[in-house]
Amino acid sequence: MARVLGALAVAPVLGGAPGPGAASVAEAQPGVRPIPAVRGVAVDERLRDDLGVCLGDRVVLLGRPGDGRDSALADTVRIDAFVRRGADPSEVARAEYRVRLHLDQLQRLAAYDNRVDRFAVATRDSAATERVLGAVNEAAFGFRAHRSRDVAVRTSRTFQVVQRFHRAIGVITVVASAVFLLCILLLKVDERRRDVAALRLMGISRRTVVGALVLEASLVSLLGSALGLGVGWAVTQGINWYYQGVYRTPLLFALVTPGVALFAVTLSLALGVGAGFLAARRMARTAPLALFGR
Amino acid sequence: MTPQELADAVGVVDGAGRRGAPPLIRVAGVERDYRMGEETVHALRGVSFDVAAGEWLAVVGPSGCGKSTLLNLLGAVDRPSRGTVRIAGEDVGAMDDRAATSFRLRRVGFVFQRFYLMPMLTARENVELPMAEAGVGRAERQARARELLAYVGLAPRERHRPAQLSGGEQQRVAIARALANRPALLLADEPTGELDARTGAEIIDLLGRLHAEGTTILVVTHDETLAQAGGRRIHMRDGLVERDDK
Amino acid sequence: MRLALAAATLLRHRTRTLLAVLGVAVSAALLLDMVMLAGGMRESFRDLLLVRGYQLRLSPKGTLPFDSDATMERAAALLAAVRADPRIVAVSPILGGQLHVLGAAPDGGESGPAATAFAMGLDARVQGDYELVRGRHAVAGAELVASPAFLRATGAGVGDTLDVAAGFDPQLRQYAGRCRAVVVGEGRFFYTPGEQPVAALPLATLQAMRGEEGRDRLSLVMARVADGADVEQVRAELQRRVPRVSAISTATALAQVEQRLSYFRQLAFILGAISLAIGFLLVTTLVTVSVNERVGEIAVLRAIGVSRAHVVQQIVLEGSALSLAGAALGLALGLVTARYLNAILGDFPGLPAAFAFFVFRPIDAWRALGLLVLSGVLAGVYPSWRAASLPIATTLREEAVG
Repeated sequence: MARVLGALAVAPVLGGAPGPGAASVAEAQPGVRPIPAVRGVAVDERLRDDLGVCLGDRVVLLGRPGDGRDSALADTVRIDAFVRRGADPSEVARAEYRVRLHLDQLQRLAAYDNRVDRFAVATRDSAATERVLGAVNEAAFGFRAHRSRDVAVRTSRTFQVVQRFHRAIGVITVVASAVFLLCILLLKVDERRRDVAALRLMGISRRTVVGALVLEASLVSLLGSALGLGVGWAVTQGINWYYQGVYRTPLLFALVTPGVALFAVTLSLALGVGAGFLAARRMARTAPLALFGR
Repeated sequence: MTPQELADAVGVVDGAGRRGAPPLIRVAGVERDYRMGEETVHALRGVSFDVAAGEWLAVVGPSGCGKSTLLNLLGAVDRPSRGTVRIAGEDVGAMDDRAATSFRLRRVGFVFQRFYLMPMLTARENVELPMAEAGVGRAERQARARELLAYVGLAPRERHRPAQLSGGEQQRVAIARALANRPALLLADEPTGELDARTGAEIIDLLGRLHAEGTTILVVTHDETLAQAGGRRIHMRDGLVERDDK
Repeated sequence: MRLALAAATLLRHRTRTLLAVLGVAVSAALLLDMVMLAGGMRESFRDLLLVRGYQLRLSPKGTLPFDSDATMERAAALLAAVRADPRIVAVSPILGGQLHVLGAAPDGGESGPAATAFAMGLDARVQGDYELVRGRHAVAGAELVASPAFLRATGAGVGDTLDVAAGFDPQLRQYAGRCRAVVVGEGRFFYTPGEQPVAALPLATLQAMRGEEGRDRLSLVMARVADGADVEQVRAELQRRVPRVSAISTATALAQVEQRLSYFRQLAFILGAISLAIGFLLVTTLVTVSVNERVGEIAVLRAIGVSRAHVVQQIVLEGSALSLAGAALGLALGLVTARYLNAILGDFPGLPAAFAFFVFRPIDAWRALGLLVLSGVLAGVYPSWRAASLPIATTLREEAVG
């Protein structure tokens, strides 16, 4: 698949005859299917929404902004399809429109002659990929071949930076939440000091008292985790709905994966139970009368 | 207002009172009801008596007879459901919160059974607390706090926290705190209730000294020794004054 | 006395107090970082755009400066149209392109490029793209000013001569133009990433080296408007006169970049709000529990004559002390984490070296932390008022103290 990437100007036309330059190249070549006068293109959904065009509408593509529709670098086309953007994070912030047209069409409009920017090659397997890579680079017709994987790594650097940033923010918020959780659980156990004093005075063992408090802390942590998961899931739905609308992309901005859920629940349980245990143990070791404040 | 100033204001010559002079405390038909869940408890059912300036009155009776309730009304900590409580001519029960607070701060010294000292403050700081609230400057209140602690025999312990003091020492600090703003009236709710006999005797001696200097004292107590130390005893039962041994 | 009481109360439960201060500190740090992020990008970018005072930029239609390889043709006519406006006092034309530094093969022949750099053809008299660090400007002919990254990549120094070429045709494997250029200076380039090799050459030199692709073409024109003139008006007028280009003012550029980076601004707002809420909740919870534990003490204070207002003041003082201590610690923590986060985001490909995401402005910091401290103050009001309003006698009876 060959691609030419260029900037075009789009001007709508209502009905009318196809513009000049739509002469079929293939007419001169026997055996080749004749190219229709008005050819179809596919435009992305953003362009559809912003221009208000429909399937079957005719527009004029201009290779040079400011040119008239009679220019040699102009072509009247018909909109045959709308294309949805892929969920590519590296394109999220780019507000450009996309038009897909026939290769020769774009080559002519962009005054590219018989050139392309890049080829994409599909091979049978990875061994074949390496052989093709080597052969193409050896031939060295002024270009280089790259594995798609390597290209993906290089072009996803922006996304990697964002990912690292999110991770750093995540660590900070986890630390803040952990401190908050520890404080709350400590307070919660402290609130029970008189109950603990009364139980100890009655002869209930330290072990039982600590066990009861830890059980309470665990239940609170468990309930809190469940509630937090629910809230987190609801918030991700809200985030995705909002940003998909703002950036007009199907990309998912936030996702609660099983791994994320497990991490969050494990951490909050560990912190909650840990804090509860430490506070309960300290309290159980204090003399009951001291707990009463005497 | 010092005890002497108050005595002059209400026309009392000596600690025994002058017949015909208006009393310092006048309790008239006081009733106090509490709601405890679905039931109404009648803690006081029509109590009336007078106390002259400079008197030492002990209120005795079995548990639940309304002694502490009566003390709370006198100290403007609570309000009567019916009747009036007048101290130095002022209707304490009709005071709003601000007036009652000011009254507690400047006119009355309160001593509690459980001392109620601030555990995180030193002995001296506990005594300073009411003076700080009354706007007394730091130097003056520190000096007075030291003077009061010396008066109650605790000068060397001024930097100790309540947890480092014995029960008797804590109660003496509480008495010093109650005297901080020179009140004319000292109210004590079971001041020896948490103390052993010997320590209790020390507190009784201290109260005796204060009374001799003109302070009007009203104690609520089960302690027979304390009840006998004052000149007058009121016996209460079931929210009423059963007997007034003047 | 109230201060002493507040301090004594907080020190009574050291672990709890320490945790609360830590919690507020982390919230404060995050809040500060988000405030810095929300305003920082805009401020940094604006400073970058105005570093040499050029308020207007003309770029190929529909693009931002150097957003693509597109160039503007009929450059001379374009410049004449721009200069015709009497309100424009300086015009800086720029052509961008790739510059290849050629190496020598072992057999004396020519090998492939030893280094490839981004080249800017400029008019040194009016250029606004770099600050000279060493040497002099490249004013004419085969001269260039290089970035530190360029010098590192080529191993050259100021005064060295390099074989350079531009306008490479991959099919013919030929350069449109080449010359032996002298490195006459070293510069700090404002708008390019720090690690990218950059060289500035005289405009005419680069245009000639790029052959047909460079002849009478420009990538960007920067214009400085006279003091007092309405920049937007000048921009609109230019756009009308030269519709084949995009005329962008600083405000427009800011708006477009903000739109692209709006995600960070919104993230900053959301996280900032959450930090504030967490800080508030933490102090509220701590004060509430502390007050509930001390209901008896509060009743005693009321019994000995401390007014309700003073009790509330006392407790509000405790909450404020927690918030203040946390905010102070959070300020230091926030500055450290901001540097760390800025370093992460600074790795964005193509980001100008001088651009910062997190910019510290004292007024923003005081506002943010002031808000946190205020929330700590308010956190104590309700629970303390409630406790101070409880009936004294009943509370004393129920809550034994001492």
